[in-house]
This record gives sequence, C-alpha cells and structure tokens, in this order.
Amino acid sequence: MTGRTSKPTVGALPGTTADSPVVPVALTWLVWTLFAASVALLAARVRFGISWGVSGLIAVDGLTILLWAVVTFFSGIVHSYSRRYMAGNAHETAFFVAVFGFTAIVMGLVAADHLALFWLLWLAMGLVMAKLIGLLKGWKQARASARVARRYFLASAALLGVALTTLWWATGATTVSGVTAAAEGIAGPMWLVAAGAVVLTAMIQSALVPFHTWLLASMTAPTPASALMHAGFVNAGGILLVRFAPVLTVEPTFMLVVVLAGAVSAILGKFLKAVQSDVKGELACSTVGQMGFMIMQAGLGFFGAAITHLILHGFYKAYHFLSAGERVERTSPGDGETHGLGPVGVAVTLLTGLAGGALFAILTGKGTHLDSGLLLTLIVVVTTLHAARRVVARSSLSATLRYGAIPLVFLPAIAIYALVYSGIAALLSDLPVVTAETELTVVHVVIALGFLLAYVAMETGIVARSRRLYTALLNASQPPTSTLLTARGEYNEQ
Amino acid sequence: MSSNTTIIASIEKASSTIGSVWPIHSFVTANPLSGFEDMPFDEAVRQAADLLGGRGYPRPETFRRALEDGRIDRETLVSELAERGHETDPEAALERMDANVEGETADGDGGVKTPDEPIERVDHVLSKWLSAFLDEDQAAWAMPGREDGFYAAFRGVAGHDGQIPQEGIVTDLPEDPIEAIEAVLEPYPESQWVPIFEEQLAALPGWTGFIKQRAEDGGTWQSRYPITLTGYLAVRLALLDAFDATIDPSTGSDSTGATGSDDLAEAFLAAWERSWRSELLDSVAAESESLSASHSSARPDAQLVFCIDTRSEVIRRHVEAAGDYETHGYAGFFGVPMEYQGYDAEVSVDACPPIVDPKYRITEMPVEDGDRARYDRWRGVREAAGELVETLKTNPATAFGFVENAGSGYGLALTGRTLFPKRLRDLLDTAEDPVPDDHAFCEPLVDHQHTYAGDLPVGLTHDEKVKYAASAVELLGIETFGRLVVFVGHASETANNPHGSSLDCGACAGNPGGPNARVLAAICNDPAVRTTLADRGIDVPEDTVFLAGEHNTTTDEIELFDDAIPESHAEDLAELRGDLATAREHAAAERVASTDSEGAAVSETERRAADWAETRPEWGLAGNAGFVVGPRELTSDLDLDGRAFLHSYDWSTDPDGDALEAILTGPMVVTQWINAQYYFSTVDTAVYGSGSKITHNPVGNIGVYQGNGGDLMSGLPLQSLLASADRPYHQPLRLSTVVHAPVERVTEILADHDAVTQLLDNDWLALSVVDPLDDHQVFHYEGNLAWRTSAEQESVPSQMPDKRAVADD
Repeated sequence: MTGRTSKPTVGALPGTTADSPVVPVALTWLVWTLFAASVALLAARVRFGISWGVSGLIAVDGLTILLWAVVTFFSGIVHSYSRRYMAGNAHETAFFVAVFGFTAIVMGLVAADHLALFWLLWLAMGLVMAKLIGLLKGWKQARASARVARRYFLASAALLGVALTTLWWATGATTVSGVTAAAEGIAGPMWLVAAGAVVLTAMIQSALVPFHTWLLASMTAPTPASALMHAGFVNAGGILLVRFAPVLTVEPTFMLVVVLAGAVSAILGKFLKAVQSDVKGELACSTVGQMGFMIMQAGLGFFGAAITHLILHGFYKAYHFLSAGERVERTSPGDGETHGLGPVGVAVTLLTGLAGGALFAILTGKGTHLDSGLLLTLIVVVTTLHAARRVVARSSLSATLRYGAIPLVFLPAIAIYALVYSGIAALLSDLPVVTAETELTVVHVVIALGFLLAYVAMETGIVARSRRLYTALLNASQPPTSTLLTARGEYNEQ
Repeated sequence: MSSNTTIIASIEKASSTIGSVWPIHSFVTANPLSGFEDMPFDEAVRQAADLLGGRGYPRPETFRRALEDGRIDRETLVSELAERGHETDPEAALERMDANVEGETADGDGGVKTPDEPIERVDHVLSKWLSAFLDEDQAAWAMPGREDGFYAAFRGVAGHDGQIPQEGIVTDLPEDPIEAIEAVLEPYPESQWVPIFEEQLAALPGWTGFIKQRAEDGGTWQSRYPITLTGYLAVRLALLDAFDATIDPSTGSDSTGATGSDDLAEAFLAAWERSWRSELLDSVAAESESLSASHSSARPDAQLVFCIDTRSEVIRRHVEAAGDYETHGYAGFFGVPMEYQGYDAEVSVDACPPIVDPKYRITEMPVEDGDRARYDRWRGVREAAGELVETLKTNPATAFGFVENAGSGYGLALTGRTLFPKRLRDLLDTAEDPVPDDHAFCEPLVDHQHTYAGDLPVGLTHDEKVKYAASAVELLGIETFGRLVVFVGHASETANNPHGSSLDCGACAGNPGGPNARVLAAICNDPAVRTTLADRGIDVPEDTVFLAGEHNTTTDEIELFDDAIPESHAEDLAELRGDLATAREHAAAERVASTDSEGAAVSETERRAADWAETRPEWGLAGNAGFVVGPRELTSDLDLDGRAFLHSYDWSTDPDGDALEAILTGPMVVTQWINAQYYFSTVDTAVYGSGSKITHNPVGNIGVYQGNGGDLMSGLPLQSLLASADRPYHQPLRLSTVVHAPVERVTEILADHDAVTQLLDNDWLALSVVDPLDDHQVFHYEGNLAWRTSAEQESVPSQMPDKRAVADD
C-alpha cells in the first residue's frame, strides 16, 4: 500500500474497499449498450424511416424507438449513479436486477402490439416497481408502502384488463394497432367502458389526484429507484393515452373530461406541493401536478406535446431526486418582501411575456389558431411574464441584467423547447393520432381562468392564511400511517 | 406547591432523559444518552433500552469478528470475563449471546418496541404538525399562526383536522397548555407524572430532542415561532385523549432477559478497549522514556497547529515527513469562543464547542473594493437566478412551462454529474476562477468595536486578545517559534450530503474552522499583543509570522490564507506550499488505500468530494478510540491510522496544572461526546443513528426522515460508520484518554471537577496516565480517584483489594 508512513501502526482499521459484485457492473454495461443501440436505431429511423415488427405481436414505430432511447438513458443514469450510491448495501444486486428488469419490461411494453402481451408487461411493470418500493424487506414500513403501491398497480392492471377485453370484444382485433384502427367503429356503452377504463388506468399510473397516495408513500424506495419511478414509471399513463389516442378522440366531449382530470391534478398538485416540508414529499406532489399537466396536454389533443413534456419532466425530476440531499440549507425566518414595478418594468415584463408566447406559437404551431392550443400558449405567456416580473423587480441587479436577462435566457429556452417538440412530433408521425386539437369550449375558458386564479392565489399568498385550506392540503398529502416510521426501532436497513 | 409548578418541575425532570438533537445544517456530535451520564454505563444503556428501545452494546457477530481478527486480545478477554465471574471460554460466551439475540427476535421484531395502533396514529398526527411548525423555510407555505407558538397554532388547526377524532379535550383546548396537561393527568397521582412524561417524551425522540435543543438554544427561529416541551406535551396528551390511547406508565423493566447477555457484552467491550489501549500505551510509555533523554529545540522551518480531530493525525504525519516541520494539536476553534458571520451569510453561527457559550461576534469586513464588487455582482446574479427558478417551480401556472423550457438543461446536468463528476468539478473550478473568494477581500473584524451584535460585543479588546494568544502558546508548549506559525482549521467538502456538517469541525459546532484560525492568526500578528506577551515572558521572535489555513479533510488539500504575509516570507511560504502538496498526495494515497500512482489518489479524493452519488466521501472521525494529551514526540513515531485525537501538552511548562485542567474539562469532554455519538450510532443505526443514506428524505432544513416520514432521525448515517452492510468500519469503543503528566496533578484536577470525575467513575471513558516523574509508569484510573499500574492490572485480574490511592483525600 502506498502512502503509508513507514511507522509501526497501532490498531489499524479494517480495509474499506468493499468487494463489488459482478451483476451491477455487467448490467450497467449492458444498459448503456442498449442505449447506444437505441440511439443508433433512432438515427436510422430519422434517416431512413425504417419500422419493423413481428406481425401481431410486436410493432416498432417512431414512438417505440424514441422511448427506447429515453428509457435506456434514464436507466443508464440510474445504473451508473447507483454503482456508487448503493455500494455496500445488502440489497445491491437485487436492486440492480430489479432496475434492469424494469427497463427491459418497459422496452417491451412500448414495442408490444398484442393486447395480451401489452397487458402482461403492464402488470409486470407495476409488480417490479412495488418490489423496488419494498426493497428493504426487513423494514416494516417499506413492506407496508410496497403493499399500498401494489394494491394501486393491481387495480390499474385490472382496469386495463377491462379496457383491453372490451376493445377486443368490440373490434375482434387482438393487437393495439388493430384495435385503434377500428376505434371509429366502436360506440355506445362499450366504447365508454373502454375509454373510461383506459383513462382511469392512466390516472392511477400517473398518480393523478385522487390516486396520488401510492406515490406519496413510495419514499421507502432507494433514491435512484424513486428517480426512475418519477422519470419513467409514472410516464406510462401518458404513453397509454397516446397509444390508445384513436379510441379517446372518438368523442370530443370525452376529451374534455381528460382535460379536466389533468387540469385538476395539475393545479392541486402544485398546491399540495406548497405545504410539503420534506424534500421527497415536495417532489412527489410536484410530479402529481406535472403528470396532470401532461394528461391535460393529451386531452387537448396535443399528444406529441404530452410525450415531449414527460421526457423533459423526466430529466427535471430525475435530477431533483438524485440531488435531494443537497436541499438542506441554513436559513433565517424571512419577511417575504416584494417590490413594485416601475412603468419601464411593466412594459418590459408584458412585452417579454407576449414575445415568449408569440415565439412559442410560431415555432410549435400551437395557439396559432383559435383552438385548444391557445391554452398551452397561455401557460407559456404566464411563465415568461412571471419570470420577467421577478427579475425586473430585483433591485440588486444592474439595469442591463434586469431588463436583458429574461429575453436573453427565456427566448432561446423556448426555442430549444420548440426544437425538441418538433423533433418528437416528426418522429411520431406514423402514429394514428398525434395532434387532434379541439374547438375552444367553455371548459377550456374555465380551465384557463382556473390557472390564472391559481397564479394569483399563489402569488398573493391569500390562501396560505386559511387554516382550513392549509389543513385540508396537508391531510390530502399524508401517506398512510402504516408507512410512517414513527418508532425508530422499526427501521431496518436489511 | 401548586400543581402548575409541579407539572413544570416534572417536565423539567423528565426531559433530562432525552438527548438534544441539533439541526442537521450544524450537526453537533453529542452523546445521544447524555441524559443518562449520571449513572454507570451499563445501567444507563439498560435504562435507555427500556425507554427508547435501542441497543447498548455491539452485536455478538461484531465481537466475534473482532476476536477472530485479533483486535480483541484473547487473554485480556478471558481475564475480563473472569473478573465478572464468567469462567467460560470466549466462544461459549459468544454462543450464549447469540442465543439471547435469537430469543429477542423470536418474541417480537428483534426486541423492538412496537406501539399499538392508536399510538401510531397519535404519532402520525404529531409528526405531521411538528414538521409543519418546525419547518425552516423548506415549504412554500408555512403553517398559519406559528407566531403564537406551537400549542396555540395547534389549537387553531385542531378543529379542521379530519385525522383527529373530535372527542375529549382536543375539541375545547384551554388557552394555557398546563391546564390541558392537568386535565388529562387528573386520574393519575403526582408520583406517576414524571414517568408518564418520560415515556411520552421518549415516543418521538428525534422530534422531542430537537424541541429540547431549540427551546434551550433560543435562536432566530425559536424567538419568531416559539415551541416548548410543555406545549408539545399538552398537544400530545390531548391527542392521546382524543384517540383514547392509554398513558399508564409501563411498570418496571421489560428487558430482564437481556441482562446476562449485557454482562458478557460489557466484558467483550472492555477487553476490546483494553487490547487497543495497551498497544498504544506500550508505545507511548516507551517514547516518554526516550523523550526525557533527548530534548532538542532547534528551530523548525514552520510550526503547524492542527485541530485535535482524529483526521489531523494522518495529515500531520505526512506534513512532518515532508520537511522540517513541527506540528501541534489544539481544539479546532483555537480557543476563541466566537459567533461568526461570513461576508454574505444570512445568519451567524456559533463557531465554538457546544459546551462553550460564544463571547464575541466576529464578522468579515471587506477591505478591497474591486474584488468585492466583482464578487457581489456574481453573487447577485446567482441569487436572482436561484430565486427565479424557485418561484417558477412553485407557481401552479408557471411550473409546467418552466419544466419544458429547462428540461433539456437538466438532462445535460444529469449526464455530467453522474458520468463525469470529477471533470465537472474541474470545469466549475475554472469557471469560477475569475470570481474572487470572499477571504481575498475580507478580513475578520477582530478589534473591539464598542458595539454589540445581539448581546455579544463585536471584536475583542486588547486584554482579551492577549489572553487567547497567551493561552494558545502555553497550551501548545511551543518554545522555539519558526519563521512561520500556521493555524490550520478544517472543513469537509462533499456534494449532495445532508450530513455534510457532521464532517466539519466538531470543536466549531459543526462549522468550518478556517475563520477561527484566521482570528487567532490576526491576534498573534497584532504588534501590541506581541509587546504585552513579551512583557509576560513569552518571546515571539521578530521574524515569526502567523498565518491561517484550512485543511480540506475530504481532499487533504491545505489552503493557506496568505493575504497578510510580508514579502520577506514569500520564499518560506512557497516552500511550505510545495511540501503541503507533497504531504497531501501521500495522505490521500493512504486514505483511499490506492496502489496506483499518487496523482490518482488525489484525483480520487476530489472525485469523492464532488460526486453526488458518493455516500462515503470521507470517513470523518470513524475509528476514533483514543485521546492523547502530551507532546507530539510521544506519538510521532507511530501510525495511529487516524484513530486518536491528539492534544499538545507539555507538563513541564505547566507547573500549576491550569493548562491540563482546561484540556480535561474542555476538549476531553467534547471528544467523549463525539466518541459516544460514533459508538451509539454504530451499535444501533436506527434508534441512535440515522440509518442508511439511500432512503433519507431531508425535512424542513432541520433533519432527515427515513422514507415517508414519522420521527426525525438523529445521529450519524450508516455510511459514515460501516464499509458495507456486514462490515463495520468504525470500531465501537469507548474513548481511552492518555495523559502525559505527573499522576498527582491529574488527581488534583479530577478532585476539583465532579462532572468529569463522574463520567470516569461511570465508565463513559477510560483514563490512563503516563507519569514522566515515576519511571514512565502507566497508571489506570480505577474510580474514586484511585489508580492502579499496568503491572497490577495484569497480575491481579479480579477482586483486587489493593487499589493504589494516590490522592490524599
């Protein structure tokens, strides 16, 4: 050993280099290989437009290849991260096997065409995730959390079973592509059962309100497993909607229900998040909101936008889980001061917001017509406006920075988003339905007002003063008692 | 006495059993069983096990491994067993302990107390409201009505909380919490109040320990949003009433079965400690002998004064090997009890041990405008950006747009931080190069300012400065000053680590030690101080310059704060820098046990410091087992593998024993705290430690949960103690202190300090003295101010009546 001074050692400590098991190394290598292969396929797809499959069983289209690349990327990050993070843990190998197994199942799911295969993989995906939540099986609360999650996942699989059986019954087709091709022909109660079950399945999977409890009780999973859950697993709800889009778009009124379900979660999730004092609880509530927004995008008919959102949100949320430990800081009770804006400030703010919206509309084509896309453009306007307002109000910055930063930072950011979005939309062009914008209705206006109201409520903090509302939000985000470690002796890392 | 005051007195009494829990951003390594230190160790861990359900001794398999590895000397073990009346061989004893463990697991969850269901619900409601009330700026919306205190705030929300059955006193809580307590306690005689309170306070020990600490410490959050144990107990009792849960105190001990096992464990533990200690003592006694023979006082190139922290032992060895350097050990706050506020810090921190109250406020004063302006600009942009991201993420109408616009950036960051952590660190270092460090344009304001910050004076008067300078020089026993004298504080550098501050300087209450080093260096360079010191007979040569530095314990880099160095010393400084770089390479190689080239070791430590996936960036004080008080020569020829705290002390320059008294009542107590924290966190990572990092969930900027929530975890995480699930790295031993001084002097000091003597008498730590005046014999403290020599210890293993009393009382 180098570095030791050549002096007699008194009571040397044991060595620290833990023997690293073979499985994690091999699986990490394998998953990155799969990623490389997926990227190569993606390139080939863009260049030559290939698609292939095993008729009646597997169909590889643009969405499949895109999601292969995405899921192997997240999985690769989680594998590499966990090589250090999970080192020395008794469940290290089991963890890698489960994470890799999850990856393989999802890769299968996004390629599956046969209804039975699709359902089986859906079920397996849920069971593996529940296993990761209860990975530390010596720990009573981890087992309880896994049970909660498993119940939800079994319910989601059962609902999906109902939907798929009904669709098969109604169309006679045994594949996803077959069913969706014949979707126009389904009608009446049969269609309603199928469409309703698909949407409910997606809502459970994406942890939308009121099915969010399993997600809030899932923190017994090791941090990287949570990252994979929030960047991968919950997305399956959106992917399901995209896959079965032709079934949903049959009836525009039904799409409004989807929009509403998504919007409610989007807004509620953010309010739930506002009262969380633990980092992972906060991230989970944020996911509830983000998934709601993604489902809302799908409901508005922008399936490509939904896929784009779930990928970008995956980056965002995986990052925040993996860095959850750095969110501890020393603070002092603040005063929450806000500054007013001068006339120049107001002008800059408004112009920037509108410029952001215009750029978004031009680059993505959303909101250029009087349709449901306007809602998405509105969100961008508010975001940019808000950002500009905050920066302009900061007196500690120089004037150039205050007035220049937002246009300089935000407009390119919007452009990048538009680029990603267009790329993804192009990749998805072989889907039966990518965009199905609907006419503006009163519901859209109500939702738009809902977002504006939520904006004002959060900014002014009016609602924060209501004891009743605060308590309701806090209680709505409580994990079940059995999943909380109230007696520390019950914790067991084994 | 009114029942009012009885209740307050009973709560006060009951609260002594819970150990304080400090906020995690300034982790204080304290004994979780500090409330039990007034009783013997074995009795304390037994009572604590009854109350809290935690283990008191390492598991049999830990002992078995130590025995197999030869860490426990077999002969010593047999004699320790015999001393306790067990004439068995070690293997049989281990089997008996195994059988006991199995018995525990058979009847219940590993001897763990499992609360019944209504109590779990009460704990749930309480942890919900405690996390809401005690939150320090993590949640965007704070709990309403916090200004009125916890009890009143709870009164405000209890009626809206659907999780609470609207029954009993909770539906109509009196304004005064004491009245609520009185009402619930009505059926119980006063004699049961203390046991009831003890049990209720022990129910969520993480939270109650935190409340206790926060209420005692004051602080900005406590004064804005007050909480007391009385208010907490009132809420808890009201909830127990509402959920119809019993509060009858349990009768007597419920772990009588384990006592036999505990006795065996005590023997194993004592044998393990003695095995390690005797190896150390043999060497120290031998060095003591050769030390008195030769005493050289040639002028070294420089003196470097490090913290007593165990990590200093490693770097000191390598610094000494790199050139003609003398190193010393001193408590890392360098004796100055100060509260420190950095240049752009929002809050000030206590930069002194938790057993000391800060006496001065030290702030950083900008002295150079150009750098300051650049720094401010940079900081302004960073803060604005941070706040902007926060507000965009929070608002329901903007969060979604933000995620879409920023998502790609997060994707890049994910890739960089996971796959290239080291390269990213280098890149960020380069990017921040043009931005000056705050100490490049700031100086600590050391001079007395005739103003107060809070209730502390800002700066030190001339007399105070002289006092701290003189006591440093006297305690260190420096006789020949080099041209450079460096005070080296220490700090760790880790990423994504809620427990980061547990790796910082324990003597600075979990803060970096650099500021304290800078203050003492500034004091010692003050010409007026030097003149007064000279009048007192402390001659510091004209050409001696003091400077400060900070040892990065994760990477072993030592940064020198060289702003005040005159041109005349530039060459000395350059040479020192070069040697410190060499020492760093060697120390890093030793610590990462690298067999590659030495540059690779440094690079590996830098990777650990920056890597967000690294759960073991460094080992902190793991392994600590001993505290050596004496001249460096006693240990400088040994490799202690970072397991000993080292405090410099020269008995010959301390005739009246003042310096030794300060060391035994200050640093020794702090090291015992640290040692006890490492011990208990290791023997029970759940009840006394904070469990594995892989499922940590930071809460309220004050601590971590395990998983979904519940009780606040306290103590060290598993990854700071264990190399892997079944391989402990920290060896759970109680502290062995070794003092190099005449044994009478030590006895006299102990006779004057009951608190310290009590710790020793109760076996919370061991004390041995190597007496340079008595043939360098080793004396072991036996209790009641009596000693016995090593020879006596070995020849008479049990029931020995001939304790050798040296004290004259």
